[in-house]
Amino acid sequence: MMVAEKPALGFQQAHAEGEDELELASPAGSPAPPPRKMHSLDFEHIGSLAAVAESLAPGSRWRRALTSVRVVIFQAKINVLLPFGPLAIMLHYLSGTHQGWVFLFSLIGITPLAERLGYATEQLACYTGPTVGGLLNATFGNATEMIISIYALKNGMIRVVQQSLLGSILSNMLLVLGCAFFAGGLVHSNRDQVFNKASAVVNSGLLLMAVLGLMFPAVLHFTHSEAQYGKSEVTLSRFSSCIMLVAYASYLFFQLKSHRSMYSPIGDEEEATEEEEDENEITQWEAICWLFILTIWISILSGYLVDAIQGASESLNLPVAFISVILLPIVGNAAEHASAIMFAMKNKLDITLGVAIGSSTQISMFVIPFCVVIGWMMGQEMDLNFQLFETATLFITVLVVAFMLQEGTSNYFKGLMLILCYLIVAASFFVHVDPDASKYIVYCFVRCMRANWIKIDGLVEMQELNHLD
Amino acid sequence: METPQIEMGGFKVNSPQVPNGGLRPTVSSSWNSRGTVERALKSIRIVVFTSKLNLLMPFGPASIILHFTTRRHGLVFLFSMLGITPLAERLGYATEQLAIYTGPTVGGLLNATFGNATEMIIAIYALKNGMIRVVQQSLLGSILSNMLLVLGCAFFAGGIVHRNKDQVFSKATAVVNSGLLLMAVMGLMFPAVLHFTHSEVRQGASEVALSRFSSCIMLVAYASYLYFQISGRSNIYSPIGNEEAPNEDTVEEDEEAEIGMWEAVTWLAVLTLWVSFLSEYLVNAIEGASDSLNLPVAFISVILLPIVGNAAEHASAIMFAMKDKLDITLGVAIGSSTQISMFVIPFCVVIGWMMGQKMDLNFQLFETATLFITVLVVAFMLQDGTANYLKGLMLILCYLIVAASFFVHVDPQSSEYDFHS
Repeated sequence: MMVAEKPALGFQQAHAEGEDELELASPAGSPAPPPRKMHSLDFEHIGSLAAVAESLAPGSRWRRALTSVRVVIFQAKINVLLPFGPLAIMLHYLSGTHQGWVFLFSLIGITPLAERLGYATEQLACYTGPTVGGLLNATFGNATEMIISIYALKNGMIRVVQQSLLGSILSNMLLVLGCAFFAGGLVHSNRDQVFNKASAVVNSGLLLMAVLGLMFPAVLHFTHSEAQYGKSEVTLSRFSSCIMLVAYASYLFFQLKSHRSMYSPIGDEEEATEEEEDENEITQWEAICWLFILTIWISILSGYLVDAIQGASESLNLPVAFISVILLPIVGNAAEHASAIMFAMKNKLDITLGVAIGSSTQISMFVIPFCVVIGWMMGQEMDLNFQLFETATLFITVLVVAFMLQEGTSNYFKGLMLILCYLIVAASFFVHVDPDASKYIVYCFVRCMRANWIKIDGLVEMQELNHLD
Repeated sequence: METPQIEMGGFKVNSPQVPNGGLRPTVSSSWNSRGTVERALKSIRIVVFTSKLNLLMPFGPASIILHFTTRRHGLVFLFSMLGITPLAERLGYATEQLAIYTGPTVGGLLNATFGNATEMIIAIYALKNGMIRVVQQSLLGSILSNMLLVLGCAFFAGGIVHRNKDQVFSKATAVVNSGLLLMAVMGLMFPAVLHFTHSEVRQGASEVALSRFSSCIMLVAYASYLYFQISGRSNIYSPIGNEEAPNEDTVEEDEEAEIGMWEAVTWLAVLTLWVSFLSEYLVNAIEGASDSLNLPVAFISVILLPIVGNAAEHASAIMFAMKDKLDITLGVAIGSSTQISMFVIPFCVVIGWMMGQKMDLNFQLFETATLFITVLVVAFMLQDGTANYLKGLMLILCYLIVAASFFVHVDPQSSEYDFHS
């Protein structure tokens, strides 16, 4: 970070810096809206340093905190949904039976927090330089999914973890990308939009490798050909997870260090982006504090969310698979969804791809193996055996998306096809019951029968009464 | 062992007289007996003693001795594996040398058939013993090892050496090979899925009949592929532009026929016999090795056995990648996979048909699924015609995942456990 620059930077000089730095913007491949310019305009930094110096006095610290709260909380329109969080907690304690409402409210309450978390990560990335910024985005980009998963894992709800992560991948690849392509294609309807093929191809390759890593435990289990029943898949999953983490680390290294120049966005995006993204709205330490606060707040709400899943499934009359795969990821992805669509409409498809496909890659090659390793440490037997239906879904989805992306162009038709594919996937999960949940089915069946027997008993009693007359 | 320049049709007109000026006169003078012995000794010196890999040769006889003296099958297995490795490499060398004499067409054919002679010999021995699963798994393992491990190591090494740019290779060849591999996967998938969905017309007989028919079709496909490559159409498969000039240098390097034509033929015969001999001990020791080394037979057949047959190709692929001659690397690695999947496997089915063994293309669901996903991953990696170290690393890591899965995989047939979907 160059601190010694004169404040009076001409437009030309800023422009020249910008081109050099924008190469760094996309390689971070961030799922959240991309890292802003890493070498921020220096007079602003100096300005905020001065502000920090001022704020060390107690009165101004309060002012600073209030400014920060104003900037972070009140400027984003999505934060209108913030009150739903505390509402969900209140509902949880007041009425134990209305789990459906608790679930929905906590879902709605987490959405703005996830978006603010992405914003705070972005702001922090402005200060930390390209490499660390890229790393930050690469790890915290899906912090919400990670937090929800770790909570579910702690409760032993392994299928929920697997299904919610799978659903997040599917949602990113099909729904977010599809909406973005569709919206961008409609706005720029006279021509095809283009994006950088190289990055899309590398991401597709990684996604295929993730599918490979997920397929082996599932096929092993399904063909009943494991050496030690029950234990082999877990061992294989743990080994594969370590390998996938190594692959992800080398991918990050590859992107951030050696092949930066491959990933520069398509030409006309370079001038436009730099002027918009200069604003660092909060200081570095505030960004860290907000990251911390938002993470804790999300963790609290996640706890209630995860606890309410089972009850919500019963009261909303939806399969748990549908809730985990389709509804849950909408939360974590809402902010990315909005930003991807916005960037596609501004004809910045590389950023959109970075958001959508980068997020899918991150979840499949980092979050999922990471959860397996965390489960290993917790003593939970989380494995990569996502059961055949889910694995097959992921496989065909990755193939479809890889095929769509391989030529480097997009139009509204491709977007529409991806959205329709997502609808088919959602519909399949609507009628999909987890074979592991068969015990639950039996329980429902028995309950049902008992209810009918009581009805029948009642009828018999009535008839007897009638006969008595 | 293939010199893919021959396969690609862009190869030289051969005349062995170029650098080795004295070759012709020597051949004619060897017709007297003393000259023959001299010639033989010189030949032995060239073939046996100039290659460093031949240090491993004593392991061959050692394993035979062990087989008869001890019951330690694990050691017999390992020693015969080590013993076959240099022989496989020399076999490839002899094939190459012979190809220099025989002209481009026959040379290409030679490479195309004998390139995987070692795997073929091991497979035929196993087939004779009725170990059909071992045949299937070792051939599958050879394909996987070529596509993932050899290619991955080559891309990785080449990418590290040429770090500042992506290496390029001819997309057309890679795409044709990927297409052939996918066709092979299709040929293997139908018997497996038929068996797995219990939807065959006559249980047990249908898959074998279908396999035999598919094998003939695959052999026809492979023959047409050879014809297509070796005859005139192959000029579209020439290596990437800047490699054509250095090709002249390579041409001069490879043109040195170090041994005479008949010597090459003799060595081919000798080495083939020796490889066959050792293969028998290798195959017989598999079951015992599985018990004593405490590894599943599937792991030994799929992962360990192919390392033998592929060791030499492995080294040469890496070397060519580091010299930035990726087309040759691809020819070695992917060409070998194509050859095994479209030639050796169907050939073994036909040989089994003739022997009366019921070898079929039903590789069981796990192995077929593995092959399918691997072919997809590799085809995808190759489709844009560039290579870098990340791609190589990903291929190697995929191979580790595959190897780990076979480590915990028990063949359902061998446990005599009939499972229903």
